[in-house]
Amino acid sequence: MSLLLAVPMGAKAQQEAQQWFEQANAAYNAGSYDSALMLYNRITAADLESAPLYLNMGNTYYKMHEYPMAIYYYEKALKLDPSNEDVKTNLAIANLAIVDKIEEVPQSFIVKGWKGLGNALSGQQWTVLSLVAFALLLVAAFMFLRSRRMGLRKLGFFAGIFFVLLFALSVVFASQQKRASLKEDQAIIMTPTVTVKSTPNEASVDLFVLHEGTKVEILDQADGWNKIKIANGSIGWLQAETMLPF
Amino acid sequence: MKKIFGLLLFIVCVAPMTMRAQDTPTLTVSAKKQVVVGERFQVVFEANAEGKNFSAPSFEGFTVVGGPFTSTSSSFSMVNGSMSHTVKCTYTFALQAYKEGTFHVGPASLTVKGDKISSEPFDIQVLPDDGSHANASSGASGGNTSQGSSSSNTNDPQVSGKDLFLKVIPSKKTLYVGEQMMLTYKLYTKVPVSSLSVDKMPSYAGFWTKDISDNNGSLRQTSEYVNGVEYTVAEIQKVIVVPQRSGALTLDPMSIECIAQVRTESNRRQSNDPFDIFFNDPFFNRNIVNVKKELSTSTVTVDVKSLPANQKPDSFAGAVGNYNFRSDIDKTELKTNEAFTLTLTVMGSGNIELLQMPEPVFPPDFEVYDPKITVSPNVTAQGLSGTKKAEYLVIPRRAGNFNLAPVEFSFFNPANGTYSAIQSEAYSIHVEKGSGEEGDGSIYASNQEGIKYLGSDIRHIMTGKAQLKPKHSVFFGTPAYFVILLAMLLTFIVLLLVSKKHEQQKQDTMANRNKKATKVARGRLKRAEQYLKVKDQDNFYIEMSQALWGYIADKLGIERSKLSMDTVSEAMKEKNVPDDLTKQFIDTLNSCEFARFAPGSAEEKMGDLYQKGIEVITKAERVL
Repeated sequence: MSLLLAVPMGAKAQQEAQQWFEQANAAYNAGSYDSALMLYNRITAADLESAPLYLNMGNTYYKMHEYPMAIYYYEKALKLDPSNEDVKTNLAIANLAIVDKIEEVPQSFIVKGWKGLGNALSGQQWTVLSLVAFALLLVAAFMFLRSRRMGLRKLGFFAGIFFVLLFALSVVFASQQKRASLKEDQAIIMTPTVTVKSTPNEASVDLFVLHEGTKVEILDQADGWNKIKIANGSIGWLQAETMLPF
Repeated sequence: MKKIFGLLLFIVCVAPMTMRAQDTPTLTVSAKKQVVVGERFQVVFEANAEGKNFSAPSFEGFTVVGGPFTSTSSSFSMVNGSMSHTVKCTYTFALQAYKEGTFHVGPASLTVKGDKISSEPFDIQVLPDDGSHANASSGASGGNTSQGSSSSNTNDPQVSGKDLFLKVIPSKKTLYVGEQMMLTYKLYTKVPVSSLSVDKMPSYAGFWTKDISDNNGSLRQTSEYVNGVEYTVAEIQKVIVVPQRSGALTLDPMSIECIAQVRTESNRRQSNDPFDIFFNDPFFNRNIVNVKKELSTSTVTVDVKSLPANQKPDSFAGAVGNYNFRSDIDKTELKTNEAFTLTLTVMGSGNIELLQMPEPVFPPDFEVYDPKITVSPNVTAQGLSGTKKAEYLVIPRRAGNFNLAPVEFSFFNPANGTYSAIQSEAYSIHVEKGSGEEGDGSIYASNQEGIKYLGSDIRHIMTGKAQLKPKHSVFFGTPAYFVILLAMLLTFIVLLLVSKKHEQQKQDTMANRNKKATKVARGRLKRAEQYLKVKDQDNFYIEMSQALWGYIADKLGIERSKLSMDTVSEAMKEKNVPDDLTKQFIDTLNSCEFARFAPGSAEEKMGDLYQKGIEVITKAERVL
């Protein structure tokens, strides 16, 4: 399947990037974080990405005590692989090192469960699952249509219903994750202290103060200003250059 | 003092003797040879004869504050009948030095009886102000070095700063943060001091201080020479200060108030009373006046250097001085729930009281009590030193072999400006399972315990395959994805069609066989009938059996290879053939097979079987 998914690109370039990755990991293990970061950046500059790469970059920034950047890369890794336990753990630890502690708006268990289910697999895994479910659906349908044995036909019928549902679900989640990964609608604050305004205007009312490393959701954009929403539901406007969207 | 006395002696004793000779008039000069900038002093020219036209030298380099004050005295004496007349003329100048250097004072001249006499020229060295004179020079009638016969008027009860001053002596001017330094406050006096009280103690901002003066009532007195003048010195206070931050730190002045007892010569009352005379003797006749005087030290600025940042050991916790470090353990072989004691000892010179003891790291299964810390400081002339001990009482709760890592103690030695680190011994402790494991059930109800987490950190990086792919490449929803779905769907449809066609063909052959089944059976039955007529038993049964089997196989669409009684009855049940007909058919088949392999059956049996066969086939024809 991975062969199928890999959009053809220079196999040599891929190999080279893998080498950089290994060199960077060795540098990280040796504690020379600057050179590790340089090598990781070389990979991203080649327009390549992966959850392990972003996790390692986040770790490198964490070790350099640049927590906002660490959080940024952990979030990026989580976007590619929402179920990665290592990334989740490290993000939680990095979030302890920043100034702002925001109480999240409690979500109903249905929403939570739906989101949890959607993030149980990565987008790529959902895609693969949708194809497998479709194939099995066809097998079940064939069984139902063509079997002369009553038992097999019954099995085919119920399996068909199950695989239809599974296919639909995986298509929904895969498309959700695709939309999320293509849209840069979240950001990490990179300026040590910023004041959130009520309108996209410097002269407007100060609403609240955020510090570097805080994650915000970008709701809207207007001439260099972003309308942002933080985890507790508060909304305001911030200048776009204060944050790094992902 | 001695010089002055010498001079006096000269004046008192030698001069009259020379006078007696009465031969040559002389002009002598007396003055200090060394003065300090700002100091006031006297230059006295003395002639042993009356003269006139006294011309003073130009006091270059000095300011003439007063003078010349002239005084003349003459005395007559009769010794052995010869009378001698002594004359003494003095010309006194009060000078003040205002710049340092060596200045030449030229000769002064006087005309005595027509002869011009001159004094010896001399040099005065003016020394730089060393600070101690800042207060000293403010005295009113400076330079009254002797209160003896010179005619200075000390009737006003004042004590000059030269007679009484307070001085602070820091043991060093530059030092490191944390390095100790001694400040000694000394009172220099030439007059008796009856009492003193400290007005203002310095605040010592930025310093840790410890007063180490042992003034249990009386002040230790010594004598000391300052600029060749003897002073009685009393140590008022001795303080050890330890700077806590770097930079130029200023020590505030200390001010004290003391009462000096100044002796004043009383106005000599002329009286004939011998007692009066006696008590008017200069030895007794001195009124003592108490003069209140406020003294303060000058401010002292010390340059505090911060500790060098390079080569600072990790274990460095601010200890400055020169130390030794060691550890002791009372036992290394013990049983669980027995205690052992680990003692860390730091000894040496430095600020031992503020010293932070290094902390040993014990295995997590050890119960460690807070250490008992004892400090035995020792104050010497060199400053603070002493011993600091930390005793750890440790109880291992689990059996096993444990290693106690060595403890490192590091300090900065200001003497050579380097850091030193001393490691204590490493111990390996063997703990055996004690017998009293159940004894402390109150503490440990069960031997189980949760995992102790010693720290937290981020998870390690992912190594191995990077699984890199181009950015924003999501396979879902791409044409390739749909192509795969479509391909699967097409495969499905093709398979479905192929399977349908196959079924069709199969069904076609079945229908064929079904159609032909009756015809074939009829032919076989006809041949059986002929065999029946010729009484050919073997061939009759073969034909009968084949007619029956063949018919049912073709009718039910059962393949010949799978043909058996069971498959037939099952297939007939599937086709909803009535049970009695199925039974009848199977029975006929059975009896046919039986008759075929059991020879010697009756002829009428053959006819009966033939009838039965025709009957079941006809009945089955109706149902199937």
